[in-house]
Amino acid sequence: MSKTYDVVIIGGGPGGYVAALQASRLGKKTALVEADFLGGTCLNRGCIPSKTLLKHAEVIESIEQAKEWGIETGEVSFSLEKMMKRKNDVISRLRNGIAFLMKQGKIDVLEGLGSLVTPNQVKIVNSNREEIVQANSIIIATGSTPLVPPIPGLDTVSYHTSDTIFDIKEIPESITIVGGGVIGVEFATIFSSLNTKVTMVEMADRLVPSEDPDASKLLEKLLKKKGVKILTSTKVERFEKSAMKNLVHCTDQNNKPVTIESDELLISIGRKPNLSALGNVELKMNGRFIEVNDRLETSVKNIYAIGDVIGGYQLAHVASAEGIVAANNIAGEVDKIDYKVVPRCIYTLPEIASVGLTEKEAKEKGYQVKTEKFDHVGSGKALALGETSGFSKIVYDAEYGEILGVTMVGPHVTEMISEGSAFIFLEGTIEEMAKMIHPHPTVSETLYEAAHNAFMKGKK
Amino acid sequence: MAHEIFMPKLSSTMQVGTLLQWFKNEGDPVEIGEPIFEIMTDKINIEVEAYEEGILLKKYFHADDQVPVNQIIGYIGEPGEVVPDESPGIASDESTDDASKEESSSTEATVEVVDNVTSEGNLENEKVRATPAARRVARENGVNLALVQGRGPNGRVHEQDVLDYLKGNHVKATPLAKKLAQAEGVDLSTVKGTGVGGKVVKDDVVSVLQPATPAVSTDVKPEAKRVKLQGMRKVIADRMVQSKNTAPHVTLTTEVDMSKVKELRASLLPIIEKQTGYRVSFTEIIVKAVGQTLTRHKKVNASLIGDEIVYNEEVNVGLAVAVEDGLLVPVLNNVDKKGLASLTTEAKEISKLAREMKLKPNQMQGSTFTVSNLGMYAIDGFTPVINQPEVAILGVGRIQDKPVVDNGTIVIRPMMTLSLSFDHRAIDGAPAAEFLTELKRVLENPYELLV
Repeated sequence: MSKTYDVVIIGGGPGGYVAALQASRLGKKTALVEADFLGGTCLNRGCIPSKTLLKHAEVIESIEQAKEWGIETGEVSFSLEKMMKRKNDVISRLRNGIAFLMKQGKIDVLEGLGSLVTPNQVKIVNSNREEIVQANSIIIATGSTPLVPPIPGLDTVSYHTSDTIFDIKEIPESITIVGGGVIGVEFATIFSSLNTKVTMVEMADRLVPSEDPDASKLLEKLLKKKGVKILTSTKVERFEKSAMKNLVHCTDQNNKPVTIESDELLISIGRKPNLSALGNVELKMNGRFIEVNDRLETSVKNIYAIGDVIGGYQLAHVASAEGIVAANNIAGEVDKIDYKVVPRCIYTLPEIASVGLTEKEAKEKGYQVKTEKFDHVGSGKALALGETSGFSKIVYDAEYGEILGVTMVGPHVTEMISEGSAFIFLEGTIEEMAKMIHPHPTVSETLYEAAHNAFMKGKK
Repeated sequence: MAHEIFMPKLSSTMQVGTLLQWFKNEGDPVEIGEPIFEIMTDKINIEVEAYEEGILLKKYFHADDQVPVNQIIGYIGEPGEVVPDESPGIASDESTDDASKEESSSTEATVEVVDNVTSEGNLENEKVRATPAARRVARENGVNLALVQGRGPNGRVHEQDVLDYLKGNHVKATPLAKKLAQAEGVDLSTVKGTGVGGKVVKDDVVSVLQPATPAVSTDVKPEAKRVKLQGMRKVIADRMVQSKNTAPHVTLTTEVDMSKVKELRASLLPIIEKQTGYRVSFTEIIVKAVGQTLTRHKKVNASLIGDEIVYNEEVNVGLAVAVEDGLLVPVLNNVDKKGLASLTTEAKEISKLAREMKLKPNQMQGSTFTVSNLGMYAIDGFTPVINQPEVAILGVGRIQDKPVVDNGTIVIRPMMTLSLSFDHRAIDGAPAAEFLTELKRVLENPYELLV
């Protein structure tokens, strides 16, 4: 007699385990199927390990900078082994934390690869056994894996993706990063701090093309200052193995061939959905991703899908939000996902954080777009921190001062972006932001300064 | 010094009150203004609040107990203070100076309750849970408490809620929604908020400005409009359920030949119109006939209060008046003693006030019988619901020409159906039938009304 659950969730990442907790809180008998480790890509191969390593990079940079301030440390040495150990410690603590939460929520964690047999049966396969459980509702939260493009010669060279790069044993002398998106620029930051010679290749005309052009421009400038070579509007044609090195043959913006030589290769051009759980059940697709409605329902009744597997933002916190909506709907509480306020964070040095619409998106939507930017050069706190390169920028509608989007570049702005989120979510306007007292001295004041300038301009 | 809590006297006729529930247990701390128990009188339910601060030391009565006015119900005082094991009876002046001082202050407090109740005791306000301060502010500003969203326990209205309501803060909206609404001249109170707690967000205002195009997709069902049962509707709902659940209704019907009333009205119309400026209608003539008949049928002109039937001396007839999304019952006092001209004036004026929602509380109090006239619609007869604590209500149908048999021949007569619902706990079928039969006789020979 197989076990029966109200909800079976396939995938224990930030979408799946949050959905499991919510379902259990709402009184549903819940099981979570995970083939690898709890926490998914985010915890094991993504957000958390990269942020741990980025903290190391930040410390290294601070020590460098301290020299100019008169704080001498002598020769700085670092051990990749110890850094990796700390990263692994952080990961295992968080994994245990999730396991504890599952236990506390009386959620059965079923180890193995989950897949659908019928719309209410899930098969779980691991090295020891095979099991089939009954499920009244199913949430597919299987996430995504790095996308490796079919570029000639890739099979002849050894390359990393974000799945494997965290386990390198020694710091490479040089690395070529293919793809200048969020993952690419974060690794460029890490490796350049470790004194690796980094070259980035991006097909678009700028790094992080989805973000505000001002942020891209600033990031490119700062990465170049750290010695990162950046090739934008450049297309990778083929890979080649030569003696000890990997060769990347590209065509640059002027249609001229360029060849990059490096020890290691990181492919970070995007991620593809992991559809391994679909098994025999046919779901309506949206391109490569599973199609869902705003209640996260797929084309088959009682099957829901959340997170990277449905595309969209492909962010951990979006997956979690979707998980809660899916669990609520399963429990009979009608809930809809709202993507109006999704903060986006890039953990480079300095950090980039944004929420809402970019200037371009706002114009496309037909708003009377105005922007106001305040450079951190004018911030006392940023000056004191020695990090004056950033800025705070508000995109707003001229008519009522509606705040449409906020982009911030600077130290710890990923922590500060929630102010922008709150304003957009609660529909505050430029006027309220300009009237709200901000603490001094802080970097967050720059957002207030921008709002204040915008408000005063509007009054004239 | 422990302070007495006693059954407040909430109206001049109140003898006993029923203790409905305690909000506090013995040993619970009590603050000034906190409701400690709820009582029911013949007219209303009301929460009685503490006028002293301290610990609820003693409760002498349980829920559903009937407690005489001024009987000591409990004590509030310091922890450990000794109070009598049994209720010392009626709160009296035979106490120490100190106690009588307290007593007088407590009495004052009680009087305040009486004030609030009698002056605010109209259909809506008496049913609304509100603090005395809230009632005062509402009274001073002419606010209908039923419309104020209370944020206290059990939805009790606090002073701040009334002030917020006056400020127009009763509509929650985001700053952006407010700006947009102001610029576009949208009244936010008419916008249904979809945000957290019904907060009006920008999209709600936008959807008012541009009515959504009919959904093309078939799987999107148009959503039914949902209105919370509150305010006057809530009061009506509660009172109807209360009446239907407690009073065994029996409805008697009879057909009345209105030929002579029609004649009477036709001849009085110009006279009364000249005198008062108002056109006398059938309603006033029926109310007059009802008043006249009630004086001879005391059993129908009664109120059932608690376990007593009160045979009222005055004949005050309530007139059910339809108002926007509701129903009010303004009262015509001493109908039996008034002439048709003054009744007409009074009925017209009070109905107008009702429709404009300008009735004063005392204009809705004290009825001993109610008339509900649906004769302006194509309604022949119906089963009206008794307006408690009254024991009977008359439903009036339309006047319609019908063939009737008169002395062996079929003639056409203007006929009208009267429906009398009565509370069988208080009246039996025979006396109710006698009343209705006499009313029919009076209406068929209406000239006695002029005598």
